[in-house]
Formats: sequence, C-alpha cells, structure tokens
Amino acid sequence: MTLEHCLILGAVLFCIGLLGALTRRNAVVVLFSIEIMLNAANLNFIAFWRFSDTPDQLHGPLFTLFTIAVAAAEVAVGLALVIAVYRHFKTVDLEQLDTLKEE
Amino acid sequence: MSFELIKDILIATVPLLVIFPSLFAFTTWMERKALARIQNRIGPNKTGIPCTRIGLFGLGQPAADGIKMIFKEDIVPRGADRLFHLLAPILALIPAMLILCFLPLEFPWGKFMSAPVQAFLLDSAVIFFFAISGLTTLAIFMAGWASRNKYSLLGGMRAVAQMVSYEIPLVLSAVVVVMMVGSLNAKEIADAQTGFNWFVFTPWGLAAFVIFFIAALAETNRSPFDLPEAESEIIAGYFTEYSGFKFALFFLGEYIAMFAISGLAVTLFLGAGDGPFLTSAPWLSVVWFIVKIFGLIAVMIWLRGTLPRLRVDQLMAFAWKFLLPISIFNILLAGLSHFALDARVAATSDAILYSIHAPHTHSGAVNHAPPKLVAGQKEAVMGALHYTDKNWVGAMEWFFKAALKGHVQSRSILAWWFGIWAMGLTVLYVMAKGLDNVSRSEVKPREYLYAE
Amino acid sequence: MTQEITFWVLAVIAVLGALVAVRRRNLIHGVFALMIFFAALSGLFLLLLAEFIAAVQILVYIGAVGILLLFAIMLTERVTGDDARDITSRGSFWGWAAALAVLVFLLLPAIQSADLAQTAQPHIPSVKALGHKLMEPYVVTLEVLALLLTAALIGAVAASQGGEKTKEDSDDA
Repeated sequence: MTLEHCLILGAVLFCIGLLGALTRRNAVVVLFSIEIMLNAANLNFIAFWRFSDTPDQLHGPLFTLFTIAVAAAEVAVGLALVIAVYRHFKTVDLEQLDTLKEE
Repeated sequence: MSFELIKDILIATVPLLVIFPSLFAFTTWMERKALARIQNRIGPNKTGIPCTRIGLFGLGQPAADGIKMIFKEDIVPRGADRLFHLLAPILALIPAMLILCFLPLEFPWGKFMSAPVQAFLLDSAVIFFFAISGLTTLAIFMAGWASRNKYSLLGGMRAVAQMVSYEIPLVLSAVVVVMMVGSLNAKEIADAQTGFNWFVFTPWGLAAFVIFFIAALAETNRSPFDLPEAESEIIAGYFTEYSGFKFALFFLGEYIAMFAISGLAVTLFLGAGDGPFLTSAPWLSVVWFIVKIFGLIAVMIWLRGTLPRLRVDQLMAFAWKFLLPISIFNILLAGLSHFALDARVAATSDAILYSIHAPHTHSGAVNHAPPKLVAGQKEAVMGALHYTDKNWVGAMEWFFKAALKGHVQSRSILAWWFGIWAMGLTVLYVMAKGLDNVSRSEVKPREYLYAE
Repeated sequence: MTQEITFWVLAVIAVLGALVAVRRRNLIHGVFALMIFFAALSGLFLLLLAEFIAAVQILVYIGAVGILLLFAIMLTERVTGDDARDITSRGSFWGWAAALAVLVFLLLPAIQSADLAQTAQPHIPSVKALGHKLMEPYVVTLEVLALLLTAALIGAVAASQGGEKTKEDSDDA
C-alpha cells in the first residue's frame, strides 16, 4: 500500500465521479457524483498526510474534516434546490430544464 | 494473518456474541412477565420443561418463540425488491452486534491474551459507537422501502425521521461527558469514574443522563416513541411484510441495540463496571456492568408498560424544540462549572499553600519553621489537592470539614459550588418549563363536511 | 501482507460502488451503492490510521448525507425507473471522453512523474491533538464553518419550504 496506489485509486474514483456528473440526466445523480469526487479528494489528503514528514501537524485530517462538513452543507442546500425545482417544473431531468435557453 | 491475531480477536469477540444473545432471551421473558404484571395479567407461565406439566414461570417461552420463528414460512411479497428485503434485517443486526464491541467490558480471561481484553481499543470509540448505530436507520429505511407496501414505507420514513432527530440530543449529551474527561476513549471514561465518582451524581451529568436515556428510547424505537412499529396504528409499520426468521432477526437486532445503548449510558454516566468489592475480586466489574445494564432495561420495560405512545408531531417537536436546546444549555452549564469552580479552587488552594509554605524572608534566608495552620486549613489543602471535577464528592467532604472548622475561604468555595449548581438547575428547570409550553403542537381538528 | 489484501479489497469495493452509483437506472439502488462506496472509503481511512476521520465519514456521509439523498429521491420522482427513457444526457459521448482524458492524460502522468514519499510514518497523533489544533491555530476556520453550516441549514429549510406546507425534510445541523 504505497502512496502511489492510494493516489491512483483517488484519481480513478475522481474520474468516475466526473463521469457521473457529466453524463447523467438526473440532478440528484449529479449531486451523488459530486460527493464521489469530494470523497476521492479526501482520500488524497489523508494519503498525503500519512506519508508526510510531519504527521503531528494533522493537516490531512483537519482539511478532510472541513471538506466533509462543507460537502454535507452543500448536499443539503443542493437537494433543497432540487426539491424546489421539482415542485415548479415537475421534473428533475436536466435536459428538460432549459427555459433560460434562447429559442 | 497470524495465529496470535486470530486468537485475540476470537477471545475478545466470541464472549460478547455468546453472552448478549442469551441475555436477549432472558430479557424477552422478563419483558413479557413484567408487562403482564403491570397490566394486571400473569404472562407466560406454562412453557417450562417440555412434555411435562411443569411451567417454570414461563422460562421456556424464549426458546418456544425462537423455535416457532425458525419454522415459520418466509413470505416475500410479489413485487418487493428481494435483495433489499433480505438484506434489511441483516443490516439491522450487524451494527447492533458491532457496537457491543466498543463497550469497556473487562472480561477476566485477559491472561490468555497478548493484547488488552476489550474488543476494540480505539482512541475514538465513542464517536464510532454513534456512527455505527446510525446504520440501523438505514436498515429500517431499506425494510420500509423494499416491502412495496404503503404502510411500510410510511412507517419507515417516520422511523428514519425520528431516529435522525433524536441522534442530536443523544450525541450532545454524550459530548458533556467527553468534555469533562477529555477523551473519546471508553476505557478512559470508565477509569475516570472509579470510586463512586459517577458522572450521574453531578448536576450536569444527571441532566445529560436523563436526556441521553430519553433519546436512547427514541433511537431504539421503544415506547413511548414506538409509533413506527405500533400495532394499533400502522399494522407494525416497516415490520409488516416480514415473517419467520427475518422478523426474529429484526427483533434480535432491536434488543441488542437496546443493550448496546444501555451499555453506553452505563459507560458514560453510571461508572462502567464500578461497584463495591472490586479490589478483592476484579472480575466483578463485568457483573456490575451487566447488572447496571439490566437496571436500565428494567426502566425501559417499565416505561413501556406505563406511558402512552407519542404522536409523530409531538415526537418531533419534543426532539427539536425541547431536548436540543436543553442539551446545548447543559453543555454550557458543564463548561461553566468546570472553569469557574476550577479557577476558584485553584486560586484558593494557591492562597492556602502560599501562606503555609512561608516565602523567603527579606534577608534571603529560607524560613524553615514548621508551618502553623489556622483552623481548617489542613482540610482545605486536602480538599484542594483532591479536587478535580471527576472527584468533587471526595473534595467536597474535605472542604466541608474545613468550613466547619471555620476556614473562611472553604466556605466561599462551597458557596460558589452551591451557587453555580443552584443557578444552573434553576435555569434548566425554567427552560424546561418554557420549552414545554412552546413545544406543544396544537393540531387543529379537521373540518368535516357533513352531507346535508 | 494483510494490509495489502485489505487495501485491494476495499479499493475494488469502492470502485465498484462508485460505478454502480453513477450508472444505475434505479436511483435507490444507486444510493445504496453510494453508501457502500462511503463505507469502503471509511475503511481506507482506517487503514491509513485516520480513525477519527473514518468515524466522522460514517457518521456524516452514511448516517446523514445518504439519508438526505434517499429522502430527496422519494420526494422528487418515480424512483424505480421502469420507463425506457435514456438516463444519460445527449452529449454523453463527450462526457465519457472528458472523464477518460482527465484520467489518462492529466492525473496518471502527474502521479507517475511526481517524486513521492515512500515510507509511512508509524506515529498516530491522538484525537486530543486534533482537538487542540482545532482550538488553537484553526479556531477561526471552525467558527466560519459553524456559520456556514447554520446558513446552509436555514437556507435548505427555506428553499425546500416553497409556498405550501411540506413534510419534515431531514437536514443535518
């Protein structure tokens, strides 16, 4: 379990999340994918912390803690917006939410 | 995997997996008998030794129930999600069993092991406990959704909302104890309470214990918070479509979760494993732990037989508008008493010790004369030396003796103590009364349109 | 040796969980796969000796964010996905291309060419040290985070209320 393995795993997970965010139609799935990307970044932070020279500075866990909290807040607000959008448009399909497009 | 590691894991976890399910069997019998007596009935009294007429007060009932459930037909509704229908009871049981391993039980066969006896000796055991007990919420949702039944889904959603709401006062009341001990390690919390210095004997500890217990009742869906599984309301809610062994697994999971949360309450507040005769027989700590768990389970059963069920809006209002503000204020009270009293005691003890060990005289020679103590100073010094807020009981004893002997500063320390606690308890009481009025949700009766 | 096996097992579970979560038509199955992904990631954090973060990951992500996603799915649309509509957007070819390009041309070469540390430090700072760090150098960040969470809580409740009364949404504080 070297640092390289952890970073490659983080990169693969990030790209899976990116794939979900770019290809799916459903807004909730896009939110999941953003969570996957954030978690992959957290994995990178902890891996770098573990293999660093100064583990006493706890920069890995601290940053990860803040990221987790901010991600949770963002998911809460994002889902509230999705619910509000659903109530108005009766759909969460991103392909159909195009009323701002000029026609 | 080395043999040592496997042996250690087995020795640490197998006793838990053997002891707690057998306690579960005993508890189901105890519950049925106790509920029956509260409701002025007799309860099971015929199932004793099979094939005879000897009914040992119905002690064979758990075995009979177990055998019945194993042989019942397992029905899965058509259109239900089979994978989740199967997974949900397993997912309800595994976290409940897992969190038992975080409790600081000191089994006496430590000499066979190369590592300490507690199963999971983690530095952040208390947080893991709350994290993993949150997985039961997920299992209940899965059960409610996978049954493809409106009542199950409704029951599942209500149960999830209830469990998520009550997790906050639960964790906040545990935070008080963690703050006082300064560690999340269950072993350290248990060690800080030896010698009858249980946290429940402190005012903030007692308030936190009551809040924790109420929230624990709601977390395990016990009465009076058992709307999600109420028989008269929603046809057993998320349990509706489960029969046979899967129902038995849910049942087992619920009781083991009850044991585990009672175990955590005992660890945090009731001095895990602390009790008389420990110095002569250290293996008694396990016995005291289990006795205390049973005490709490008995109170839970008593509440089930006595109180009526809360409506769902009353439940939610109680959690958010009553328990949450009080638990936050409790943390404030605990911190205030810690810092204010600590500062007072430290200042007082410095003054006493300074006046005892006389400083250097003007000429620079050290004064070696034996210190002359005024009335009560010796006891006050002993009190100050004994005081931490983990053993304020012992320290208070010394300060009382000093105050009785006329030591003025000890009297002021005692006045501070009583003052802060009286003020804190009064404010808690007033807050509770006020929140009680605010959190009563009045549901307006629907207007019925009568056909004329 | 056991560390290696555990790492590979957890890595495979994480990748599979993430893949199922982004490709599955049935959203509830997707959310449960996402929770398996979070659990595998928590295991990886434990392996990397960040036990407090592993506990917080389970507590926040599985216990709160996952439940929130489930509630949102229940409130927004028919979740079983029996209809034959396409689940991917129209430009999904470019989406795949972009994701693969980022992986192959950007991230992997960066990892290969970096000068990475080889030894893991055996020392594990305690949770108490983390608490000290949060109180002493990083206390302002902690307070700003608290403000952010309060704002998010109020905002989420306000945004999801709309005009009419709705059932309780489970927001985490």
